[in-house]
Amino acid sequence: MAKSKKEIISIKSISKIYHLGDNVVKALDKASLSIYDNDFISIMGPSGSGKSTLMNIIGCLDVPTKGTYKFQNELISEMNDSQLANIRNEKIGFVFQTFNLLPKLNAVQNVEVPLIYSSLSRKERLERSKEALNIVGLADRMTHKPNELSGGQRQRVAIARALVNKPSIILADEPTGNLDSKSGEEILKFFDQLHKAGNTLIIVTHEKSVAKRAKRRVEIFDGKITLDE
Amino acid sequence: MNSIIKNILIGLAAIRANIVRVALTSLGLTIGIFTVSVVTAGVSSIDKEFAKSMAYYGNDKLYVSTWPWSFDFDWWKYRNRPKIKEESLTYINQYSEYVTDVSVKKNTWIRANYQNKASWLQINGVYPSYGDMLSGTKIVNGRFFSQNEWDLQRRVVIVGGKVREGFFDGESPIGKKIKIGGVTVEIIGELKEQGMGMVPGGTLDNLVIMPSTTFKRILTRWGFDELVLQTKPEDLNKAKEEVAMIMRVARKLRPDQDDNFSVNSADAYQSQFDSLKTAIAAMGFMVTGISLVVSAIGIMNVMFVSVKERTKEIGLRKAMGATNNNILIQFLSEAIAISIIGGTIGIALVKLITVALSSYAGLPVEFDLLLIFYTFLICVFIGITSGMIPARTAANLNPIDALRHE
Repeated sequence: MAKSKKEIISIKSISKIYHLGDNVVKALDKASLSIYDNDFISIMGPSGSGKSTLMNIIGCLDVPTKGTYKFQNELISEMNDSQLANIRNEKIGFVFQTFNLLPKLNAVQNVEVPLIYSSLSRKERLERSKEALNIVGLADRMTHKPNELSGGQRQRVAIARALVNKPSIILADEPTGNLDSKSGEEILKFFDQLHKAGNTLIIVTHEKSVAKRAKRRVEIFDGKITLDE
Repeated sequence: MNSIIKNILIGLAAIRANIVRVALTSLGLTIGIFTVSVVTAGVSSIDKEFAKSMAYYGNDKLYVSTWPWSFDFDWWKYRNRPKIKEESLTYINQYSEYVTDVSVKKNTWIRANYQNKASWLQINGVYPSYGDMLSGTKIVNGRFFSQNEWDLQRRVVIVGGKVREGFFDGESPIGKKIKIGGVTVEIIGELKEQGMGMVPGGTLDNLVIMPSTTFKRILTRWGFDELVLQTKPEDLNKAKEEVAMIMRVARKLRPDQDDNFSVNSADAYQSQFDSLKTAIAAMGFMVTGISLVVSAIGIMNVMFVSVKERTKEIGLRKAMGATNNNILIQFLSEAIAISIIGGTIGIALVKLITVALSSYAGLPVEFDLLLIFYTFLICVFIGITSGMIPARTAANLNPIDALRHE
């Protein structure tokens, strides 16, 4: 069924090799993966499996040592630092386990951060940020600083920040890892909504319960993709 | 352009968040800028004062004296020289082509008093022609003495501008009689007040000028004579050589004998003063240079701390799409801003002190607008040089490692 959709990400036989002293570590070993429009994928694997490396490469924070990575037909694996930065800015929304909000900025200002590196005017940036906060249901917390918000609210600000650039994919790294089960459930429900609204979501997790929420599950072990269903 | 401004604003926000640290860091630069401004302002003020003082000696006069006008102390070369004698003027009058007018200038210092007030005054005994040779000052009240008064050894004097205040409570000194070395003289003229001067030998405001004939008659104290020769500014150097030759003839020196007199002019002081000024400036700039280097290191240090503290923020910004250049500009502008804050405080201090100096001490101090501009340039330069390495470190951070940083 997925085949009928438009392919966003095409990863072909990528490897990532680290040299730690004399040791050669293959974090990724000829992994291949395609991600389509409106996918809702979970990537699972134990620590040391290459899960983080795969996520970093998908998120254009890193490039593979071998193999090709195409993002909407653009060849990411050959790009330089500032080209990668532009791809991250325009096409990828990040959600982190530890939220990574800037403590001195309020909610709107935090959501605005990605837009600062785009070419929007000040007014447009503010409008877009407010709109994104509205979507996550925090319209009444605009001027609150992160330390005045609960964990769930902070993660929602972070999701608003991921959404504000209208990205092609949203990449969430253990998004419920630092939340209690109630707030976590709230966030996962919100991901369901985002998926229904047409967004493409990738959740990296080691929790089976979280992984099960996704429509498509990918497992990785020893740098190889062992399951894709 | 727009993106540069946005990144500068992010850098400036960091300054506001750490205002105490920024203030302490910029202190070094404050001191540096303060020193350089004070030295520059000081040197240019001294320069102006000196030029004013030099005007008294004139750029068109030669002074034949026993001693050269210089700050070297090879006194053993000069101590056995014969005194300058008024008679030499006969030779100069007779033979000189370039000298247009001459006067003797007898010098001494003596206590003078008016009623119960007493003061040390510098006394000059001169020819009537000296009245036309005055430069850098002039008669503002009364008159100079006449040929007749000179011939008759009349006890008439012209006084400096401060005598009015010292002896007569601000009243006009003309017609008043003061005692000089026990002899009563009448004041017939007053010179323009000069203010604090830098002329070697003290201020001209305590000067008393009288006929040289009267001087010889009433003042037998220690003193010395000089010859004052009027020429034209363009003839000064030629006149100098010529007068030296004539003096050698007058003193019957053999060709193998050295001059036993000195022909002086204001430019001798000028070159002495220039080397002194250079020394002051060199010292000042050295102190400044050291403090600027130290403050640059201080700013660099604080910038490294700032980068370290905000590693995670840098990682996040990069993940959100900040390019290396965005981060570079952010941290560079932070460094430049610290630097400019320091410089601005320095300039403000200088301004404050110059205003205080000129209003309370009456000492005129130059304050140049150009100085502000140069200070600004120096600050930007220091900000860039000290901020470049930390900012590059920040810009080149790997976003993955930076995000993991705790």
